[in-house]
Amino acid sequence: MKQYQVSAVEKKFIGSHLLVAILALAVGSLFGPLQAFEHAGWDLYQYLKPLIKSYYQGLTVHGVLNALVWTTFFIMGFLTFNVIFGLKRPLKNLTLNKVGFWMMVVGVVAAAIPILANQATVLFTFYPPLKANWAFYVGLTLVVVGSWVEGWGFFLTYKDWRKDNPNERMPFIAFGSLVTTLLWQICTLGVAVEILTMLLPWSLGLIEHVDPQLARTYFWFTGHPLVYFWLLPAYISWYAMLPKQAGNGKMFSDSLARLSFWLFLVLSTPIGIHHQYVDPGVPPTWKFLHSMFTFGVFFPSLMTAFTVIASLEHAGRKQGGSGVFAWIGKLKWNDPAVASQLLAGLLFFFGGIGGLANASYNVNLVLHNTAFIPGHFHLTVATAVTLSFIGISYWLVPYLTGRKLWQPKWAVIQAWIWFVGMIIFSNSMHVLGLLGAPRRVPLGLAPYVPAEWNSRLFQVGLGGAILFVSGAIYLIVMYKTATNKERVEEEVEVPIAEPMQDPANGPIWLDRWAPWIYGALALIVIMYGPILFDMIKNIALTSPGFRVW
Amino acid sequence: MAKKDKGDDDFRPTGTLAILAIFIITLIAIWTTIYMILVGRGGTL
Repeated sequence: MKQYQVSAVEKKFIGSHLLVAILALAVGSLFGPLQAFEHAGWDLYQYLKPLIKSYYQGLTVHGVLNALVWTTFFIMGFLTFNVIFGLKRPLKNLTLNKVGFWMMVVGVVAAAIPILANQATVLFTFYPPLKANWAFYVGLTLVVVGSWVEGWGFFLTYKDWRKDNPNERMPFIAFGSLVTTLLWQICTLGVAVEILTMLLPWSLGLIEHVDPQLARTYFWFTGHPLVYFWLLPAYISWYAMLPKQAGNGKMFSDSLARLSFWLFLVLSTPIGIHHQYVDPGVPPTWKFLHSMFTFGVFFPSLMTAFTVIASLEHAGRKQGGSGVFAWIGKLKWNDPAVASQLLAGLLFFFGGIGGLANASYNVNLVLHNTAFIPGHFHLTVATAVTLSFIGISYWLVPYLTGRKLWQPKWAVIQAWIWFVGMIIFSNSMHVLGLLGAPRRVPLGLAPYVPAEWNSRLFQVGLGGAILFVSGAIYLIVMYKTATNKERVEEEVEVPIAEPMQDPANGPIWLDRWAPWIYGALALIVIMYGPILFDMIKNIALTSPGFRVW
Repeated sequence: MAKKDKGDDDFRPTGTLAILAIFIITLIAIWTTIYMILVGRGGTL
């Protein structure tokens, strides 16, 4: 059966998102190894002056471009594809989505200028009282609002689809994309309020002081679900595409997949205070309650692990695999889209464990301000998410451009190099954290480094170098693919893993929006209402801005 | 509508359950290790 045809204009539009994303990854990734080298005692920043003036400026470029820009643009492009292809209809209003996209592009430029001019060296968390140039905050706002506008375009498209298909179950890739969009629209209210009511007026000189504690609370309202905004698109691929690619497997349970997405929507926002366990201004009761709900997210995560691995096992057995583990070897490891995502998932195994340690109220005290944390999020956002997105791009870019993937063997090698580099880098960061090495610190300059850290710091540099090589190969493969004269014989098949059971036989409440939305909003009010009410009522606009760079 | 293949009904994800069991055991081992570091640094950290 011929697959649904996405129009050339829409393909170009989706491709534009990927182009900006990959450019951001290219620039941002230049600075990642510089941080790692600095830890190993090889300070290359001194050679970048006056272009880049400090370690912290480089860290800001790395964090903003890789954690915020690469992810957001790739996700909006991938979700656009999923909505169109999943619902088998064009976007209701392409112009609206284009407006959103260009708002995001203008936002990136607006934020990039002060960062490059060393006027916004505030890291990607932009905690006050570090004070950036106003253009940085305007730029971030435009990126967020632009992504909202694109999301509204998705919802309008869905509304029309639902009108035409009142009794049908929404195809999973569209369902997952719309839940991810809704999650993003709800959770970004935190940073929107933070920037519009405090940071922007402060940077413009309209108010003189800020309340850093309230600002941090707003930030983490967004900051934790942001992790799920990154992860859910990868989950869409793991659930509904990867099993097909890995060996013609099926999705083990459509109902479990849908339930886990709804639970992520409901549970991922009202838990942000687990990032503030060491903030003295947050009462322990709220820290405890948020820690309990954080463990609640473990359940949809475990459901995801079960369903995805079972779907892969189905694929492996279809390929002739047997035994308890031997089916793993039968998966199509020579397909770069498969290898990248399997390796991403493998490292996420440890990312999940580290996340539960971080979430534990008492154990967190050992880890909180240490190198363990960047070690952890390089397993999540920089591997589970980034390596999955890289894997998706290995089939999506040929699909969008009609050009063959350049040297698939090199793409597979790239994924393995990333895997090896990240094991070395991340493992050493975790161990350094347990040994007490602080995070957000140029350790190469620190006079207090004990001898037991030295070998691990070297490994951080080594891992960074290997990751740099992998990133460079990815960029070469993407560039050569985008300019490849060899075209695909026929349109690349979009990998869709059919569910084992007909989704129409699943519970009807898994296809109802209202209870989940009300549930999500109610939990937010219960978990954040009293603490935010109290903080706003007793707002302490006492801190002036600081520029420490 | 999803088409059922022969063998779909008989599929039992035994390997998946084994992998998840390893995950839980590893999780407990790592969490306990960090907890022991916490305890080793004293009760008032």
